[in-house]
Amino acid sequence: MNFPHWHLLLNHFPIIGTMIGFALFVISFIEKNRDLRRASLIIFAAVALLTIPTFLTGVAAQQPLQQGRNASAALIQRHEGSAILSLWFMEFTGALALIGLWQMYRMSRPARWNVWAVLVFSFLTIGLMARTGNTGGEINHSEIRDSQGTTITEGTLGSIVHVFEPSPEKVSEAMTFSTLYWGCMMALHFIGLALFVATVGVLAARILGFVKDLPIAALHRLMPWAMAGLAINIVTGMLAFIGQTPNYVYNPAFWLKMLALMLFGFTVGVFYLSGSFKQIEHLKAGEDAPVSAKVIAACAIFLCLALITLGRYIQPIGESFSLR
Amino acid sequence: MKSEGKRAADFKRNVLQGDNLGVPVFFRTIEETGLSTWLRTTDSLFGFYFVLLFHTLGLSLLVGANALVDLRILGIAPDIPLKPLKRFFAVMWTGLGMNIVTGLLLVTAYPTKALTNPVFYFKLILITLGVITMRMVYVRVFEDATLSEATMMMRGKLMAKWSLAFWIAVIVAGRLLPETSRYMTYGHAGSG
Repeated sequence: MNFPHWHLLLNHFPIIGTMIGFALFVISFIEKNRDLRRASLIIFAAVALLTIPTFLTGVAAQQPLQQGRNASAALIQRHEGSAILSLWFMEFTGALALIGLWQMYRMSRPARWNVWAVLVFSFLTIGLMARTGNTGGEINHSEIRDSQGTTITEGTLGSIVHVFEPSPEKVSEAMTFSTLYWGCMMALHFIGLALFVATVGVLAARILGFVKDLPIAALHRLMPWAMAGLAINIVTGMLAFIGQTPNYVYNPAFWLKMLALMLFGFTVGVFYLSGSFKQIEHLKAGEDAPVSAKVIAACAIFLCLALITLGRYIQPIGESFSLR
Repeated sequence: MKSEGKRAADFKRNVLQGDNLGVPVFFRTIEETGLSTWLRTTDSLFGFYFVLLFHTLGLSLLVGANALVDLRILGIAPDIPLKPLKRFFAVMWTGLGMNIVTGLLLVTAYPTKALTNPVFYFKLILITLGVITMRMVYVRVFEDATLSEATMMMRGKLMAKWSLAFWIAVIVAGRLLPETSRYMTYGHAGSG
């Protein structure tokens, strides 16, 4: 498996996943089915997480693609610009879905503003993802191309959307024009990690049996802060990747870190969907959690430590090893 | 008139921009020791970055636990009982201990880089203030076990706000060190 291969495998998730999530979300209102609503929000959140490695493998696929076939650089640039735009919309939709899920947990239904926001943003994301998929296909499939030779022609809708698609070089320049600015972005990344690890860590520590004086439900109320920390880090992380791509794109430590992030998402899914959370939610002060919950909590802590360690080792490993 | 202009230009270049700072030779002496050289130049994964990793883990414990207690004092997540949070101070002191040890090792590896950087001294001052505030919160809010939660929160409010501000500033200052340093090692200008 190489990067283009991974990219071709993963890109199905953001393109088709959003459509399925949207369909289920709409049906959940027609059928007035709460479980379906929850499932569709979970799908949006999961797809948003998977869109991150989709984008990353796409950037990594550029090199082999340009070295191999006669792939037009202009077509690749157009696809990357479109991908950056749809990535932000996808992540924002995922964030809205997580907020909706939290609201369903606390108030048994998402707030009205959230329902409309998810509808609007997921719909826009579908459109943008379709364009990204299309521009991506045109790189290698001349049979679907409208453009002839090296000039790129856009349809009406395409040219409107194209106005909003950022140029990857411009994003790079915006991120690297000042080392102080870069430092501040990284400082935000640290603050996000402190928020994330502290809140997830204290809940996991309680489940493992430390600080038993604290009731689990109360510690779980801190989870929106964990989500906020994660959001800050995804945003600053993506900006760092787009801004200083050569530092990360063929760096084994970076890819392992992304794997740890996906595994963390998987762990969270197992925690909530296996019924483990339901079992321990109302544990009072002094009560012990079952072993299955402890295993999940230990995995969560291990993955948090892995994220920090691998993140810290991006620089030294990048200087010695490359996946190119 | 001419010599005045030249003196002003020299002052600007030498002092304000630091082009000709007199760096103490002592820093070179430290850099030439075996420990410092090994930390800086080893190919082993257990060198500088390993120390830096534990510095990051220590700060996660120190700032994370501090933030939790401070935010709770300020009223976030009120379902969490305040009194049991007294146990988190042990976590904070552990984190601080880890960071003092790893911090000393980091300064041993790059003494010129750290000690010629004003931001580093700023960071040390902020850490001192953060630790003092941490101790004050413990003494005034948690030490007396007979206080009610409302009293505890009222007593700790101002200190909790300052504590959060200090530790966030410490993180930012620490993260900006590589971007603001003027020397990597003695005699070698340039920032990481």
